[in-house]
Amino acid sequence: MVLAVQDPSEGADPRQELRSRAEIDRSCQGPVTLFVASAVAWLLFGSLLAMAASIKLHSPGFLSHHAWLTFGRVRPAHLNTVIYGWAAMVGIAAMLWLQTRLSRVTLVFPRLLTAIAWLWNLAVAAGTVAILAGHGTGVEWIEFPVPVALALALLFGAVGLVSFYTFARRPPGHIYVTQWYLFGAILWFPYLYLMAQLMIHLGGATGVVQGSANWWFAHNVLGLFLTPIGVGAVYYLIPKVIGRPIHSYYLSLLGFWSLALFYNWAGTHHLVGGPLPAWLISVGIVGSVMMFIPVTAVAINHHLTMVGHFHMLRTSPTLRFVVFGGMSYTLVSFQGSLQALRGVNEISHFTHYTVAHAHLGVYAFYSMVMFGAVYYMLPRMTGREWSSARLIRIHFWGSALGIALYWGGLTWGGWLQGRMMNDAAIPFLDIVRFTIPFLWSRSFAGVLMTIGHVAFAVLVWRMLAGAREPARAPGPTLLGRPRGEREINPAEAQ
Amino acid sequence: MTRLLVAIILVAVLFGLTAVAGLVWAIRRGQFRNLTAGARSIFDNEEPVGRPTDAFPPPREEE
Repeated sequence: MVLAVQDPSEGADPRQELRSRAEIDRSCQGPVTLFVASAVAWLLFGSLLAMAASIKLHSPGFLSHHAWLTFGRVRPAHLNTVIYGWAAMVGIAAMLWLQTRLSRVTLVFPRLLTAIAWLWNLAVAAGTVAILAGHGTGVEWIEFPVPVALALALLFGAVGLVSFYTFARRPPGHIYVTQWYLFGAILWFPYLYLMAQLMIHLGGATGVVQGSANWWFAHNVLGLFLTPIGVGAVYYLIPKVIGRPIHSYYLSLLGFWSLALFYNWAGTHHLVGGPLPAWLISVGIVGSVMMFIPVTAVAINHHLTMVGHFHMLRTSPTLRFVVFGGMSYTLVSFQGSLQALRGVNEISHFTHYTVAHAHLGVYAFYSMVMFGAVYYMLPRMTGREWSSARLIRIHFWGSALGIALYWGGLTWGGWLQGRMMNDAAIPFLDIVRFTIPFLWSRSFAGVLMTIGHVAFAVLVWRMLAGAREPARAPGPTLLGRPRGEREINPAEAQ
Repeated sequence: MTRLLVAIILVAVLFGLTAVAGLVWAIRRGQFRNLTAGARSIFDNEEPVGRPTDAFPPPREEE
């Protein structure tokens, strides 16, 4: 039964609102927590694959005796498990919860969503096994065999329909900016995924055009799926946690619509210098540079909303992860716009610099925001509290220091690698040898990140599986003692 | 093959038009009119502006 809750008005009973919000949150418990638990399991598995791939690059003999553990299979297995396993599933979890909250309805079709989650797990598992067995398609970001991919496209589409149905049940009133972002994601992505399959694997495009179709798709996974879910989540979580509305709602809408207008064009910046018509590549570069507009709008908005409240980073786990993610979004986007320029690309392309950039986006931005979202959602859905502030701290610092080292090492090494590759006098193997210490730093960073993920998995496991309430006084799991019960003056929050 | 390409291009145009339609719909429905109210729409009497919410469960004495 769908419970459509009244839009809160001036005279509404706060206890009714509390019950309604609690009912909405609890209704998400089954399917959404299943998506989260699955996502975390894929994160762990994806981290192991990541470690294997990373170690192989500086120590090629590692695990090299079995065909299914060779780099050419382990690396795409890592990519697909963290994107379609971790990122997609945690994104859908966050999206479903946010949509029920923003539309003020209880979760619709919970059994269908549960089935979708299980089928999704099955599809990703089948695809991963196929890749490790040597049946990957060899096209980046869509290495899953076509039947698996079509199954995923169908499941994506089903989630989209559930989203529409949820939205249609909302009471009249304002549609918060996060809803726009989430709709962007779930409306565009099934289409993108299906089109990519049709064009690349099913003959719609041939030759060089497959390349541009490939990178149109891959970049849009980032820009029209992960980014909207991540940015949309930040637009809800920062104001909700600190108790203050977004600084400029006008800017947030400008940011959304300009993202919708510009992002889709950027794909061919992956092919600068490639055998595509120059105008097509220039279109991609222009689209990439135009992204400065929505990204700056988002950065200004988040920063000015946070001003005066940065002290809460000391105590709120959600805020820490989400603000880290939001700042990383600004960084990675500015970096990306610059990387698209031909002069910069000449140096950075085909180097570890690009890999660092990719992880700054999918990990430092998207994954950190998703971690923050899970820290906020799960207690409200299950009615329990996180069992250990210490583990949360381990998670945060493992992830934050890990990705900082990852990005620092590979950006530095990758840039120098690119400079050297442009110098014909330097033998290629010398350049390869030069990068080895940087690759070691990446493996070390990976260890830190994996430790963080294990801490996170333990926390999620304890929350979902633990029947006993922890023997503590009820209250939030904060990272430290809040500075008094400081209430923000509502007038000050304008 | 040509038929497939025509279909793909038509669907792409259709998707572009849905974005335009979405924007027009939003403008007509007055989504851009009261932006301050829009920003505050995620708050209510139980979780009002001015109260941080990374405090769960809600403090009992404040009911």
